[in-house]
Amino acid sequence: MITRDLSNSQRIKRRSLILAAVKSAFTLVVCGKLYYLQIKNKSKYGKLSDLNRTKVKILYPERGTIFDNMGNPIAANRSDFQLNIFREKKELINRYVSKLKNIIYFSRRDYEELKKNIKTKDLSDFIVIKKNLTWEELEIFELVSNKFPFSFITKEKVRSYENNLIFSHVLGYVGYKKDLKEQKLNNLKFGISGIEKTFDKKLLGTDGWIKLETNSKGRIKKELNKKIAIPGENINTSLIAPLQEKAYSLLSEIRGAAVVIDCKTGGVNCMVSTPSFDNDEFSNGVSSQKWNRLVIDESNPLLNRCVSGLYSPGSTYKLLTALFVLEKMGFNKNTKYFCPGFVEFGNRKFHCWKKEGHKSLDLSEAIKKSCDCYFYNLAKNINIDDLSSFSNQFSIGKLTDIDMPDESGGLMPDSKWKKKNRGEKWQRGETLNTVIGQGFTLSTPLQITLMTARIASGKNLQPKILKRNRYFFENINVSEENLDFIRNSMLRVVNEFEGTAFRSRLQSGLKMAGKTGTSQVRRITKEERESGVLKNEELAYKLRDHSLFTGYAPYDNPRFAITVVAEHMGNGSKVAAPISKKIIDFALRSFS
Amino acid sequence: MLEVIEKLKKIDWFYVFLIFFLSFVGFVMIYSATSGMEYNVLFSHTMKMLVGMIAMLIIAVVDIEFWKRNAFYIYFFFIILLIWASIFGHLGKGSRRWINISGFYMQPSELIKICIILSLAKFFDEKKIKDKGDYFFLIFPIIIVLVPVGLILSQPDLGTAAIVLFISFIIFYISGLSWKFFTTIGFGFLIITPYLWSLLKNYQKQRILTLFNPENDPLGSGYHIIQSQIAIGSGGTFGKGWMKGTQSHLDFLPEKHTDFIFSMLGEEFGFLGTISVIGLIIVITYLTYRILNNPKIDNFKRILGYGVISNFFFAALINMSMVIGILPVVGLPLPLVSYGGSSMLTYFIGFGLILSLKISLDSKY
Repeated sequence: MITRDLSNSQRIKRRSLILAAVKSAFTLVVCGKLYYLQIKNKSKYGKLSDLNRTKVKILYPERGTIFDNMGNPIAANRSDFQLNIFREKKELINRYVSKLKNIIYFSRRDYEELKKNIKTKDLSDFIVIKKNLTWEELEIFELVSNKFPFSFITKEKVRSYENNLIFSHVLGYVGYKKDLKEQKLNNLKFGISGIEKTFDKKLLGTDGWIKLETNSKGRIKKELNKKIAIPGENINTSLIAPLQEKAYSLLSEIRGAAVVIDCKTGGVNCMVSTPSFDNDEFSNGVSSQKWNRLVIDESNPLLNRCVSGLYSPGSTYKLLTALFVLEKMGFNKNTKYFCPGFVEFGNRKFHCWKKEGHKSLDLSEAIKKSCDCYFYNLAKNINIDDLSSFSNQFSIGKLTDIDMPDESGGLMPDSKWKKKNRGEKWQRGETLNTVIGQGFTLSTPLQITLMTARIASGKNLQPKILKRNRYFFENINVSEENLDFIRNSMLRVVNEFEGTAFRSRLQSGLKMAGKTGTSQVRRITKEERESGVLKNEELAYKLRDHSLFTGYAPYDNPRFAITVVAEHMGNGSKVAAPISKKIIDFALRSFS
Repeated sequence: MLEVIEKLKKIDWFYVFLIFFLSFVGFVMIYSATSGMEYNVLFSHTMKMLVGMIAMLIIAVVDIEFWKRNAFYIYFFFIILLIWASIFGHLGKGSRRWINISGFYMQPSELIKICIILSLAKFFDEKKIKDKGDYFFLIFPIIIVLVPVGLILSQPDLGTAAIVLFISFIIFYISGLSWKFFTTIGFGFLIITPYLWSLLKNYQKQRILTLFNPENDPLGSGYHIIQSQIAIGSGGTFGKGWMKGTQSHLDFLPEKHTDFIFSMLGEEFGFLGTISVIGLIIVITYLTYRILNNPKIDNFKRILGYGVISNFFFAALINMSMVIGILPVVGLPLPLVSYGGSSMLTYFIGFGLILSLKISLDSKY
């Protein structure tokens, strides 16, 4: 019994040792695995734990504000509340959206953008589900947000235009780049047109990022570190907001353009093109439907007529013809011609706008009354190439290099151009059309304004939207005496009886000088001449003449140069001149 | 009274200190798990530590023979509690395992482990193994094991049942049963495995399967293992620092104050921390082996001692193996470290018995 008992205790002892060996082996296995996890694969698991908790959010820079001449903001930013979700949880999006539909409005455009956001991967760990949340939507979402883990609201700064129709062409709008490769950040908007495009680099700023710590429930716990986004630079322009508004209100019912340039600085005070579009809506994302409608709209609302619209300068061009003959051909300004209503040249008849003729007049009166025949007579001796290069000095047919995208240079024809583009020699008869601003010549309202501003100031002004604090312009290469003669003739156009813009003279005591113009859209046939030229109102809208006026004020100390184009509104004295008068009157009253 | 003071003097205080230190590690980790904010959790844990330690000391000064005498009665008492818990118990974590004693929740399934160890030790000490072929006497100890195991399975609590079975096997083994017994049981087990597998609930099957390939199902049952491995691995050599574990504090780590507390320790104190805790457990185990190596020891004390220490050691290592992805996650706390009163009390009682056993060895000349 005892021996048996002893042997049994011996056995227990032996087995306890075996058990100890098993325990040691077990310990070794556990320690080995711990070594594998904590020492050998530390960096791997360290990265995984960082991936678990840290989420990177892009900080979009606030776009620079654009100010007008008086320091009032004309393009600023507003707060936009956006619903985001963790990118790693994007499989939740469909379920969330179908639930959120009841409390948040999703437009077709929103769905399009969401689809794009899911597809394109950028540096952000978040996807924007919905932008432009309203206050009500925000409030309701806050109440139910715990039912939507991994989603949260952010506040972003987005472009906002106060006067969303008035500045649309000159400011332009912002949007996504079409080239996806350039779009590194899903929600970064670039300047697409206008000033926003020209100064995009300045306005854009530099993006930053923020590293957030999140927990497993998708709640953000704290900021780990960040690189602050640097806001874009602000831009001061020479635009005058009230003047812009005034011009827009006068033009809003018609198609046309109005440009006002400061005759001292060359700064553009006003640039209005109608019809306009809503650049605020464009910047927030316009549906493709609406976009397509605007693109095919024959009134062309997307075109900035001031810098891209091309018109025959009409009689406003006579100013340059007159200046040319005085300056380059030693023409005696007192020379009189008789206007019987037409001039015969070659085997063609060239008609004056006034059928019964102006009788006998000198150069100044010819400008005042805008007599075509007088200029036909001048044209007989004019070399088109000389006139063309002279006109270039006044920016007709030449880019003004204004700080706006998509500027058209227009066209000032010469013999070379004719040969090259039409394959024909220049016909002398064509000079007759050219000197009265018809024919091939095409110019933008901005070019015509610049011509007037250069005549008024005698300086080689350069137009800029951007406000310049220092400016210096050389005198233009034309004698002051001849310039004064032209200026005086322009004064007579507006302020003397029988002047074509006499009805648009200023009442305030200050004097405006100017020149009307009528830009023909159609060619008047011989048959029509004989049966009587149709009045503008009798023509189909698209064939009606454009109404032009260009001028400056005050006469003795030029401050504002203006051009107004009213498409298909007929005679310059009827529509463009009265509108110009109202704009100039307003400008002089308020800002002189 | 004098006798009690005499006995208290004889207690191995270094051994007590090591046990206290291990439970202090638990306190430190639970403090971190609650971010030091949930005072009721901390207070409750501290109270349980105190109760456990007092229980350990009381058991230590009671004569070991008392426990041997009353082993079966105690066992019977806890079986009744276990039945009570299985039928009327408080439901939690999908099983009915708690009973509510005036605000304190207790798990009889934890405490029954000590009762089984005690009863088996008493049985194998008294019942001498006669012939190699005589196995009928084994019916009684097998009943002692299978009754609680069956009750625990009915709660249902697969993890605890498996651990109880495992510990019982170790006691059977330590008691010197012939190898034949184990091979027979092993074969039997293999034969009924398919049947047992069919009894398992789907989530239980899933847990075992994910062990082999956790990345297969990262958001399902593999998620816990992956997050736990990330927590431990990202701790590196020195850890992220106390209270600075990101996996645990940002809730990527599940059950961080109970079953996965070792992962949190690994994250915050690194390889040094995990190895130190394992070292502490080894030292406690080694010291226990030394006590049990006393030539004057009888078989009851031997079996009891090896049973208690094996229960402690294997629970610890199995818990660690679970959270580092060696064994399936079955719901087993880390002894003395995890939050949970019944489990902690069980280990304190176990160590109380070892202390009592040592006093009896030291005093008998």
